[in-house]
Amino acid sequence: MSVLGSVVSGTDLAILIYFLVLNSFYAVLLFLSIPEIWEQTRLAEDDDFQRLMQSDALPPITMLVPAYNESATVEASVTAMLTLEYRSYEVVVVNDGSKDDTIEQLRHAFDLYEVPRIYPETIPTQPLRAVYRSRTRSRLLVLDKENGGKADSLNAAINASRFPLVIAVDADTLIEPDALLRLTRPFLLGREIAAVGGTVRDLAADTVKDGRVTDARVPHRLLPGIQVVEYLRAFLFGRLGWNRLGGNLIISGAFGLFRKEYIAAIGGYRTTSIVEDLDLVVRLHRYLRAKKVRYEMPFIPDPVAWTEVPESAKILARQRERWQRGLIAAMWEYKGMLFNPRYGRVGFLAMPFYAFGEMLAPLIEVFGYVVTVVGLSAGMVNTSFALLFVLVAWGYGMLLSIWAVVLEEVSFRRYRRFGDLFLLLLYASLENFGYRQCTVWWRLKAFVTVWKRRQVWGDMTRKGFGKEVSTP
Amino acid sequence: MTSRQFLLVVALVQGVLLGALIVLIILNRWFRLRRSARIQPRRAAADDAMRRWAAGSTPLGGVLIGLARLPASLAIDALVGWSARVPGERWRDLAAALEHQWWARLVRANGNSARWWKRLECARFLSVGAMPSDVARLTRLINDPHAAVHVAAVASLERMESTPLTLAALERLPRLAPTVQAYYAGMLRRSRPVVVQHLLKRLRRGDDPALPRFAEFAVRLAEPALRERMTALADHTDPEVRIQVARAMGSFPHRESVAALTRLAADAAWEVRAQAERSLGMIADATTLPLVRAAVRDPIWWVRLRAGLALMRFGAAGRNALLEIEVGADPEARNVAKMILGLPAQALAEFAA
Repeated sequence: MSVLGSVVSGTDLAILIYFLVLNSFYAVLLFLSIPEIWEQTRLAEDDDFQRLMQSDALPPITMLVPAYNESATVEASVTAMLTLEYRSYEVVVVNDGSKDDTIEQLRHAFDLYEVPRIYPETIPTQPLRAVYRSRTRSRLLVLDKENGGKADSLNAAINASRFPLVIAVDADTLIEPDALLRLTRPFLLGREIAAVGGTVRDLAADTVKDGRVTDARVPHRLLPGIQVVEYLRAFLFGRLGWNRLGGNLIISGAFGLFRKEYIAAIGGYRTTSIVEDLDLVVRLHRYLRAKKVRYEMPFIPDPVAWTEVPESAKILARQRERWQRGLIAAMWEYKGMLFNPRYGRVGFLAMPFYAFGEMLAPLIEVFGYVVTVVGLSAGMVNTSFALLFVLVAWGYGMLLSIWAVVLEEVSFRRYRRFGDLFLLLLYASLENFGYRQCTVWWRLKAFVTVWKRRQVWGDMTRKGFGKEVSTP
Repeated sequence: MTSRQFLLVVALVQGVLLGALIVLIILNRWFRLRRSARIQPRRAAADDAMRRWAAGSTPLGGVLIGLARLPASLAIDALVGWSARVPGERWRDLAAALEHQWWARLVRANGNSARWWKRLECARFLSVGAMPSDVARLTRLINDPHAAVHVAAVASLERMESTPLTLAALERLPRLAPTVQAYYAGMLRRSRPVVVQHLLKRLRRGDDPALPRFAEFAVRLAEPALRERMTALADHTDPEVRIQVARAMGSFPHRESVAALTRLAADAAWEVRAQAERSLGMIADATTLPLVRAAVRDPIWWVRLRAGLALMRFGAAGRNALLEIEVGADPEARNVAKMILGLPAQALAEFAA
């Protein structure tokens, strides 16, 4: 009994220390996000877009759009991409051997005709079936290729791209008209940019007209609603904080601008990785640090892309499990960067945070619940103390979520109605009761899957912008 | 303090913070709505006054009153927005009248502020409202360490003709990142005579580390007066300078340009060769056709592509050359010829750009 007692109390102490260290780090991120959002808001407000639009200084950009079974949304999203407010850009859509009629939709909507391939294959990809240009949209290039996954499609699009900056955009993502213009701000500020990320927001309840979000709303359904808060927290508070620490490890695969020469130098996206955006950014950090290149990978909050989020628990579970598997795979693959002085702040701060704070968090949380239950049932842990601890832990989570809502409110205020504000606060409060535990469980399952070495992508069911759900 | 007491304190602090944040969110929204309700009519009135003044139906006084009633940042936004829509002469009248406005004096004084956002406000104002007396202030702002400030300040060159200001911007140009350089170049293009004179001097300094950047700027200007100086740099030791020279020559159809490009088409650096082929296509001198045709067999893919695209600019003779290459012995050259001959006119124009 005394052995069990010391194990339980020792474990409790270890979990308490872990909790304190991790949450202190979150507090640091929270404080760092304040000056960062203030500066970003000021710069966003002072941009002279008219002048910029007329200037030929803006770097030309290639948009890389992988499409797999995107028949429901591809026409609307590509149309929206082709009408952005940016002077010099092209859109390269890659049909990744879709099983549905994605390529037919594209061919019909944009009057495509076949052309010869006029670029070298710098990054090897699955064989191309055909290259198309459009009679109606001169900016558009469509590649039809054998199925090889998202990373392979992005590599094919990089091969075909003509411009020095590339932006990976999911075909189910709607980009705001001035988003590209805003995303290039760090380049115009003369910074040594290797990559820059924008904000991705939840599209669930918004009004979409002609491929544009005309009215941003917070969904009334719990699952997509909580994800609005989750996205706000991840982007406005987490990544802004990391800007100041110089180690953003994630630039969203749904909306991130990269310098092509660096992507080419590291051999493009890795087709074997589960979460290709995380893998790419970690490899970029590794390459640029090893080569002693001066660079930054900032996150800019005002350029916005809207994306569909899972609306059913089943699909959400698959998505979270996959993200967690990707994180585990990346942390294992690049473990040599952990606490390695060669990689500076990325090696000493970002990697340990993602390894111990993000990757191991579900394991430790579940372990904590189990030990507490064992301790309570054996009478070794005081019930009121355990409840108080859980209350504090959940309260802290709530505080972080509400802080993200504060950042949104003082900066960009996309959700203009008081009702939406109320919903945001409600979801920020409810997140810790049930939803969080579910995500912990799904993430925990990823460890089991990794253990069994199963690496499968979950299918995401698309319903199409502004349409009813077509499949359950 | 026991661990229970510690947790109690933390829970209490969290509770207070949560409450405070929720109150902050609600108050922030409420204040913003009130402020917006107060400002919006003033903004509309200032816009309306500006519209009527721009149409010549009311005097300038209404505009000045409208702007003075707005917060400085919004007044500057309105000025920047309207500056592109009002003819130069009338705009100068407005800029002169603004010199005596109290809020504009305050904004001008912010040019010396230690806070970058204040200096940015000043730079944005001066970008559309500067007077000759602002040259010293603008020169300081152009040399500002904060990029947003000097990028805003350099926009004043759109409206101001001032040699010291132009030279300050031109001297800063080589030290800037490529995108900012391109932005500066766009602004400096408006002061062409001063810029060309200064460039002629700078392009003479063969050992100047800033030479590639000045050469790049010279390419953007495409100014015939710079042709001779650029041609003289065709044998420079720095490949980056030679790339710029090869690019520039395409805009100068001249016997000496063709001679320089002929040398550059055999350069050791493939980037120089690719640019030289592109420029030879732009000039399309019939005597260089065999040279361009030979480059379609270059070991580097990009040079082959550039040479193939250049051949299309030689008219029927170039097209015939490509048709011959398409059935020739060299498989790499055959592929390039096949690709280019299959491209539609629109794609050819885009690739040739």
